[in-house]
Amino acid sequence: MRCSYRKKIIYGVITILIFIIFSHPGLYGRSSYEFIEKHNILKYLHEEVNVNLTSNAFTNCDYHDIINDETTLSPNLIEGDLVEGHGIRDGGEYIPQDCRPKFSTAIIVPYRDRAEQLRGFLVYMHTFFRRQRIHYRIFIIEQVDSRPFNRAKLLNIGAAAAINAGFPCIVLHDVDLLPLRPSNLYACTKQPRHMSSSINKFRFVLPYLTLFGGVISIRTSQYKMVNGMSNEYFGWGAEDDDLYSRLRACNFKICRFGPEISQYHMFSHKLQRKGKLRSDLLSFARKRMAADGLSSLHYLEVATVLHPLFTHIMVDL
Amino acid sequence: MVSSALTIQDILPFRANNKKVDMDAFLPFIVLPFLLLIATISRTITIIIMVVIGMGVLYVYTRPRQKNRSPFFFSWTMSSAVTMFLVFEIIILGLLEVTQLENFIFLLLLACTCYFFYKMKAIADFELATGSSKGKEYSPVLTSDSYYCQVCQIEVNERFFHSIWWDCCVLRPNYVYFLAGQICAFATLLFGTNLGLTTVCQPFIFYGLILLPEDCNDAYYEFDLSLGFVTCVYGVGYLFVIALVLIRQLLIYLPKYSEPQWRKLVNVLNV
Repeated sequence: MRCSYRKKIIYGVITILIFIIFSHPGLYGRSSYEFIEKHNILKYLHEEVNVNLTSNAFTNCDYHDIINDETTLSPNLIEGDLVEGHGIRDGGEYIPQDCRPKFSTAIIVPYRDRAEQLRGFLVYMHTFFRRQRIHYRIFIIEQVDSRPFNRAKLLNIGAAAAINAGFPCIVLHDVDLLPLRPSNLYACTKQPRHMSSSINKFRFVLPYLTLFGGVISIRTSQYKMVNGMSNEYFGWGAEDDDLYSRLRACNFKICRFGPEISQYHMFSHKLQRKGKLRSDLLSFARKRMAADGLSSLHYLEVATVLHPLFTHIMVDL
Repeated sequence: MVSSALTIQDILPFRANNKKVDMDAFLPFIVLPFLLLIATISRTITIIIMVVIGMGVLYVYTRPRQKNRSPFFFSWTMSSAVTMFLVFEIIILGLLEVTQLENFIFLLLLACTCYFFYKMKAIADFELATGSSKGKEYSPVLTSDSYYCQVCQIEVNERFFHSIWWDCCVLRPNYVYFLAGQICAFATLLFGTNLGLTTVCQPFIFYGLILLPEDCNDAYYEFDLSLGFVTCVYGVGYLFVIALVLIRQLLIYLPKYSEPQWRKLVNVLNV
């Protein structure tokens, strides 16, 4: 009898231990997080347009109905074509004609070797942006050398091009992510924003709170302040965490929209080679901030071509 | 008792050293993780391994099992449970795509499963210790309903069977626990494999309600993903087996078991 009593205590202790270990919050993704409420979104947006923008429209664009748009687009749009007379200029730039836009955004997409995916991405994104009444331009930055893919440096190059073109707001975008909700306005908030917080590949869950990769929007002034991203991350991984620690070092607080609005579709694809030095680099992220970034950007520009749907910048790193 | 015990060596076509009785209990904890690890190499090898395991189970069922009291099969059940649990908690949760609430529900279901099967085993052991198992409704007149279990060497009344996978007799006192345990195991596996597969694979939303796995093509590119995937496939196989067991219970044992109760009800109505 006493023996069975002891047995029960042991079982109980084991169960409690397991529960304590597995109730540790660091082990889980989050389906909910702190975000800007829908009715506050317009208040938090930073209204600024490209200095070179000239619009003949009399009225300002209204964004209330876009924020409250409940539709969800289908990723199958990538297989279709753009409608005729879409009004997109060479270089993938679009300016709404019926009203004066309040936001100018440069979409910067690092790219290599995924021609079919890029085609789908461009068709989808231009269809998506038709609903948003913003002034935007899509920059595709292609790495033409054979070194491991350096996403962060390509983004820096794109950001520099966008700054030259006078854009006050940039969106750093992965080519394998498609925004599903037109209410996810591609404009900058006053603080840097993590836009892809609810990706289907991640079960629509945010893996960890400090995640700042995939799709982010940031004002160019802020991007310059943190000296852009690091140029040293060859191969996959950790460059987004590096950017996050830079933003923290400059006391920026990242924000997000709700998980309903921030839904993204991710294409499945082969995972890339992981960078060997990424954890070493990340541990010194703040120290390298001043010396490594936009200020130390050296590369060989092979060509810049204005295609009908995008600006194509080919670089040799 | 010992002399009549059948070990894994007797099941296998070749006769090995008979002294390795303890190996029977130990072997599954090496063989199963090893098989799952091999299966992570490629899709073809996964299919081959799963077919081999399935055929192994079928082969075991074709062997005479009256005197089969090898601990190998119970160990296999335990090693399956432990392996799948560890892979879920370490690999699947390590991908940070499962929320705390989902893991809590999973652990709760698992705790229920463990409790019911523990009770089932405990009652069977108690019956074994006290000798005969004659339920309350046991009647010496209805001898057609009483059986003798050659494995456990006890006499039990109606509706009994011996489960080699749990290494105990399922009889009237613990039948409810057996059924409840199977249902909970089914729910746990269903929930766990769905969480695992939606984490490893590309999921889609089914009718805007639940997440289901859709495209698992990139499961083999990384070791942790492929191990999670292979374990989930194994779990789905287990799910299939449990579904068969439950359907069998539903069609055969449940009507038999509830018949006296029905008869009582009908009698009450007749009066």
